[in-house]
Amino acid sequence: MSTTTSTLPAEKGTSLWQDAWVRLGKNRLALFGLGVLSLLVVVSLLTPWLAPYPYDLQNLELGATPPSWDHWLGTDTFGRDLLTRILYGGRVSLAVGFVATGVALLIGVLYGAIAGYAGGRIDAAMMRFVDILYALPFMIFIILLMVIFGKNILLLFLAIGAVEWLTMARIVRGQVQNLRHQEFVEAATAIGLSRWAILHRHIIPNTLGPVIVYTTLTIPNVMLLEAFLSFLGLGIQPPESSWGLLINYGVETMEEYPWLLIFPGLALSITLFALNFLGDGLRDALDPKASKD
Amino acid sequence: MNLSLSAQRLVPAVAVALLVLLTACSAGETNVERGNREGILYWGNGTEPQELDPHITTGVPESYIQEALFEPLVNSHPETLEPAPGVAQRWQVSDDGTTYTFYLNPKARWSDGEPVTAEDFRWSLWRAMHPKLGNQYSYMYYPIKNATPYLRGDISNFDEVGIRVIDSHTLQIQLENPTPYFLGLLSHHSYYPVPRNAIEAHGDPWKRGSHWTRPGNMVSNGAFQLSEWKLFNYIAVDKNPHYHKADEVALNGIRFLPTENVTTEERMFRANQLHYTYELPADKTEFYRTNAPQQLRNQPYLGTYFYRLNTRIKPLNDPKVRRALALAIDRQKIVERITKQGQLPAYTITPPNTAGYSAESSLIYDPERARELLAEAGYPNGEGIDSLEVLYNTKETHRKIAVAVQQMWKKELNINIILRNEDWKVYLDSEKRGKFQISRASWIGDYLDPNTFLDMWIKDGGNNRTGWHNPEYDRLVLEQAPQATSREERHNLLMKAEKILLDEVPAIPIYTYATRHLVDPSLKGFSSNLLDRPFFSHFYLEPEPNPDSEQ
Repeated sequence: MSTTTSTLPAEKGTSLWQDAWVRLGKNRLALFGLGVLSLLVVVSLLTPWLAPYPYDLQNLELGATPPSWDHWLGTDTFGRDLLTRILYGGRVSLAVGFVATGVALLIGVLYGAIAGYAGGRIDAAMMRFVDILYALPFMIFIILLMVIFGKNILLLFLAIGAVEWLTMARIVRGQVQNLRHQEFVEAATAIGLSRWAILHRHIIPNTLGPVIVYTTLTIPNVMLLEAFLSFLGLGIQPPESSWGLLINYGVETMEEYPWLLIFPGLALSITLFALNFLGDGLRDALDPKASKD
Repeated sequence: MNLSLSAQRLVPAVAVALLVLLTACSAGETNVERGNREGILYWGNGTEPQELDPHITTGVPESYIQEALFEPLVNSHPETLEPAPGVAQRWQVSDDGTTYTFYLNPKARWSDGEPVTAEDFRWSLWRAMHPKLGNQYSYMYYPIKNATPYLRGDISNFDEVGIRVIDSHTLQIQLENPTPYFLGLLSHHSYYPVPRNAIEAHGDPWKRGSHWTRPGNMVSNGAFQLSEWKLFNYIAVDKNPHYHKADEVALNGIRFLPTENVTTEERMFRANQLHYTYELPADKTEFYRTNAPQQLRNQPYLGTYFYRLNTRIKPLNDPKVRRALALAIDRQKIVERITKQGQLPAYTITPPNTAGYSAESSLIYDPERARELLAEAGYPNGEGIDSLEVLYNTKETHRKIAVAVQQMWKKELNINIILRNEDWKVYLDSEKRGKFQISRASWIGDYLDPNTFLDMWIKDGGNNRTGWHNPEYDRLVLEQAPQATSREERHNLLMKAEKILLDEVPAIPIYTYATRHLVDPSLKGFSSNLLDRPFFSHFYLEPEPNPDSEQ
């Protein structure tokens, strides 16, 4: 009796990430989003060299003027160049948006995954803790953090991140609970993979879709939250600025000087669109269930 | 009086706006329409009041509500502010000007129907002056004989203070010196009568936060009585049926709304949700001036906007540094480009021509001299000063001025300025405890006399807060000026005092106020005066005939 061993060449495995790149590359909108975001980051980094004026240079005689050749986006009530203020504001807003969301993402995903995977009492205890934090008025929570640790822009990032992770944790936990009993996880358990390996190799990648979508929604939230905190005197202080603050001030004079609202608003909207396109693309690209073709 | 400019607590302000809009929508009728039908005035009151007790509060929003609730011994004329009968129908002044005898109206009643007696006034003043109350307005009582030692705790028998009850409706007040503005003081809320029974029913008379000022507990003697207090929503006062001139009061009630955000307030006004606004955004003034001048009230106002300097800390303990800071502010630009509402640049603490008094100033804008002074003080070109911090309460207008001043000091003196904003109550606390370097402030005259701007700067005065004091100044304001025999002599002494104040600059005057309110055309009987005091009992509502309306 002869045995014939199959000589079919094994399909060359591609990792999730390689697949993701390929799929992302095919999504024009997502690439466009990525491009815009990269551009914004580069511009932010180069702002000190790009900005046409110093960001705190006032010209009270000039006052608020609409866009002109000297001031492409006009000037604010202090006669400061709006383009410069938006460029500098973007540095703060993008930094807050990314760092605070990063913090929220890290805490939220880990916490949610552990709670969801552990289940039972641990899950119950962990989620009740989240519920308690939810019940705290979050402004008070942030204000408390800021009062205890002092005013510092880095702490502002952390404080916002520390508040924003709650929803993230819930979403991830729900996903994980759902995944935990699926066959591929049971199979992984059966072949003796460690819990940690299962968690980071199988479960977390499967939660990426909703997480990414939620992340793209968190970033604008965080940017606006920063504006609100700054407005209360807890965030950044004049003459520095951020998009949120510029919009906030713009709203107050939108009938007299509409450009003070329109341009910062545009800057924020473009960023959000780019983030959403990219988020959408990433969600599709990173979906492990997507068929390989 | 502190012009309360409370924090822009967005959430409550928006909530109020929404609520008002919602209730308005559901009724299909705006506040102004309903108000005109029911005789209810909708009044934008700036902020949620800290308290309603007239012997405790210091803010303008609180004083508006108290104005409706209480009637003083002597009132003022709505326009000229000349003394006018209040609870006292008439009064006599002795020839030497130090003894005042007041004859109370026998028909005056508290809102619970009890008569208002001379003893009520004596008890109220005893309570207001008692050291246990810690009244921040205690210097308002200094003109009364022996009030100063009593307030300081040097004498403890109130009978020695010059307030005597002759009979149930005759009150006599003895003064230390003839005080020409004394009758004006009497219409200030620190002299209001308070209801003894109601206060004693709610514990110790000096307790702060006592419940006697809650609806249902509060008894008052004015044209209106408190009927509802919804936190961050509105305070309702309704006509007091026991008021002795109740038939002359046209309004049936007033709703005071805590309109903290000026932008929201202006929108509420445009949506016919308010008869009157507490303020008006600077950038909107021009619009109203050209398009709806009949709705705009933009008049001189007896108040000064200034920066307090904490003279207890380096480098602000050096008068040269303080002068340098004062000389480097271009006030003309601030009023023309930032506040834009008819304010005048201020170079003195007392507004010019206050009851005929104008001080000379040495604080005219002069950046060159400012730099020299700074160098003389040992900080050439700002070297050696790390940074200075400006504290302001959270409000758009204060932020704008602070941002402009920040830049002027940076540009002229090369000093880095950090801005710090705090909520109204926190800000007041920081100021009182000296936890600030430079802080924005304003002072509105409590009566029409330069004294109201000068006696706050005496040593340890409750509203001084800068740590500054000068024995010569105290002597001039507290001892010499009150004894002056003629108005001219008195003014000269006060000018001398103000010169000291302006030379040593514990505070930098920035601008003299102008009132800026929006008033609905249906509100009649509204008269403007220098103290911006509303005389609610003279108001009435009369909608403009609307030709389009078919109803």
